[in-house]
Amino acid sequence: MQRILPIASAAVMGLALALPSAARAQDPVTITIWTVDKTGQPTPDLAREFDESEPDINVVYREVPFADLMSEALRAFSIGKAPDIFAVDNPDTAMLAANGALLDLTDMIAKSDAIKVENYFDGPMESATWDGHIYGVPKATNTIALYYNKDMFKEAGIKEPPRTWDELIEDARKLNKPDKGVYGVAFSAKASEEGTFQFLPFVQMAGGSYDHINSEGGVKALTFFKTLLDEGLASPDTVSRTQWASTATFNAGNAAMAISGPWELNRMADEADFDWGVALLPVPEEGAQRSSAMGDYNWVIFKTTKHPEAAFKALEFFANQDKDLFQRFGQLPARRDIDIPPTGNDKKDAALQVFLEQMKYAKPRGPHPEWPKISKAIQTALQAALAGGATPQEALDQAAKTIDGIID
Amino acid sequence: MRNGLSTFWDGRGFDLLLVGIPLAFLIAISGSALVYNVVMSFQEVGMFTLGSFVRPFAGLKNYAEVLSDPQTWPILGNTAIFVVGSLSGQFIVGFALALFFGLKFPGSTYLRGLFLVSWVMPGLVTGALWSWLLAGDFGVVNFFLRSLGIINENIFWRSDPAFALWSVVIANIWFGTSFNMILLSVGLASIPEDLYEAASLDGANVFQRFFTITLPMMRSTIGALLSLGLIFTLQQFDLFAALTDGGPNNASNVAQYWAWQLSFREYDFARGATVSVMMIIVVIAAALFYVRSTRHEVRG
Repeated sequence: MQRILPIASAAVMGLALALPSAARAQDPVTITIWTVDKTGQPTPDLAREFDESEPDINVVYREVPFADLMSEALRAFSIGKAPDIFAVDNPDTAMLAANGALLDLTDMIAKSDAIKVENYFDGPMESATWDGHIYGVPKATNTIALYYNKDMFKEAGIKEPPRTWDELIEDARKLNKPDKGVYGVAFSAKASEEGTFQFLPFVQMAGGSYDHINSEGGVKALTFFKTLLDEGLASPDTVSRTQWASTATFNAGNAAMAISGPWELNRMADEADFDWGVALLPVPEEGAQRSSAMGDYNWVIFKTTKHPEAAFKALEFFANQDKDLFQRFGQLPARRDIDIPPTGNDKKDAALQVFLEQMKYAKPRGPHPEWPKISKAIQTALQAALAGGATPQEALDQAAKTIDGIID
Repeated sequence: MRNGLSTFWDGRGFDLLLVGIPLAFLIAISGSALVYNVVMSFQEVGMFTLGSFVRPFAGLKNYAEVLSDPQTWPILGNTAIFVVGSLSGQFIVGFALALFFGLKFPGSTYLRGLFLVSWVMPGLVTGALWSWLLAGDFGVVNFFLRSLGIINENIFWRSDPAFALWSVVIANIWFGTSFNMILLSVGLASIPEDLYEAASLDGANVFQRFFTITLPMMRSTIGALLSLGLIFTLQQFDLFAALTDGGPNNASNVAQYWAWQLSFREYDFARGATVSVMMIIVVIAAALFYVRSTRHEVRG
């Protein structure tokens, strides 16, 4: 034994000397990835696949709940423990970029074969860009549209989903059955980014925008929301429920319509035991401009990373999987160069076409480095009008005052 | 023969050592964080200066901003309602239960122990539980109230500004009652039986015995309990996160939750720190009261 050991170690040393590069390559780097994705959503699987395909790179994945996403990342960044790769909610990208927290990816993307700017939709790419530099790669994209319960529509004698706000209110009145626990429509006006996400498209359709939130369009949109709640066409819990929780009531047959995004498709296909479809978001009046929210995340690399190449390699790997994103995970790739083949589920395929059409009108929120504060002002207005007894005009005037102070 | 060093294992130095170690520990663990918080409330703190100690001095600007914010007074009012509502509920129900279990019927000690379950449960679990019970359209509480004919229409406990704060108060009463009950039971057990015997021989009825013996004898227990309760109530965070998120329209927002929202939702760490400092003052007052009420216990 005592003889063999030195010989063996000498052999190992010789091998290490003979193959210096191989020995070094076996020293793996570790990159950490933080996203909101749970099991069944893309990142846990993709991170594992990337880990397996790259023997020299170890991947540590951490799931962070949506509500804690930014605060966790900021805290980690401030003490120098930020993850290498982070999926930031797209309206928050500008804030991180403007404060110098992110690695500028412009040059790396210019050289990349997997990630080409022209392959992405404009809205998502705009949200990943700050001051002419690209700081992120769109992870996926989504928008909101109107889900409707076809069985309930048939029963109420309504042939088509509503196309205008007035039609939506009218249909909701017919579909609303309080004695049976059925509301006309379910949506979310929660005091979180989700509330802004659902409300802002309506403001934009009516001609308003976040920097003129108290314009006629803004007031019209908030009045529309308020009518739905005041008439009991939507549950009073609308002001405190997430989109996911609101749409759950639609899936359970307790709401005839729901405003939500394509992230619901897989769950709805499993849970809803009725015929459903998706329609474009109704517009204020026939012929008005369309608009929709643009959701989902941007892949970013924190400037503090020690392994920018490995991290960018991961982003390229993820971008290469975009083609299967819808089939595998029911999410829409933010790519114009990808044709999504049919899934074989008729409802999902029909819904997909509507969401792709709606995507054309999707606008990013901001981009503005102070977006969380702007969004908070909008949420406060929503809550003040829907639950606090303020008129839409009063609530939005207050919001406009706050927002003007932020954007000057 | 005593030299300076030997007092450290025998004498005054030893006393100082005994006090000094925990004190150093306290200062390192809690004190430094508190001081840091106070310092932050006088600084301009941005999201990205969070990691550094040297930041622009802001004077009283943060305090002026907080005090002139239209949200401040309603939130402080909510905090007061939350504290008074929770404390009185917890105390009255806890006292009633303590007296009940003081009757020492068979199994009473086990039952009393079981009540602690609510205190042992993590706040978020309690919050999730109550959020189901108090759900608007399909909640159990609404079902019972409707079945009993007390209400005709569902109460949207978590979304109706008139009820949101009370839904958290109800959950918090459930949460803290057992703790009150246990401490009050201990206090009750320490009252000598012969006092009651003497009083009943003198013809004092149940109420007279309660108000002239039980309450006065428990003064220090009650004082300690209420100040601890105040501190626990001002710490209560999980229930707000799980039940109402401070909403709708801040109807159920309280200072401690707001401080967190300011820091970690709006990333306004300076104002978050300012609100916490204002709360620290209240908690210190409660802590002083607590120390005063328990002082005689130390003297024996």
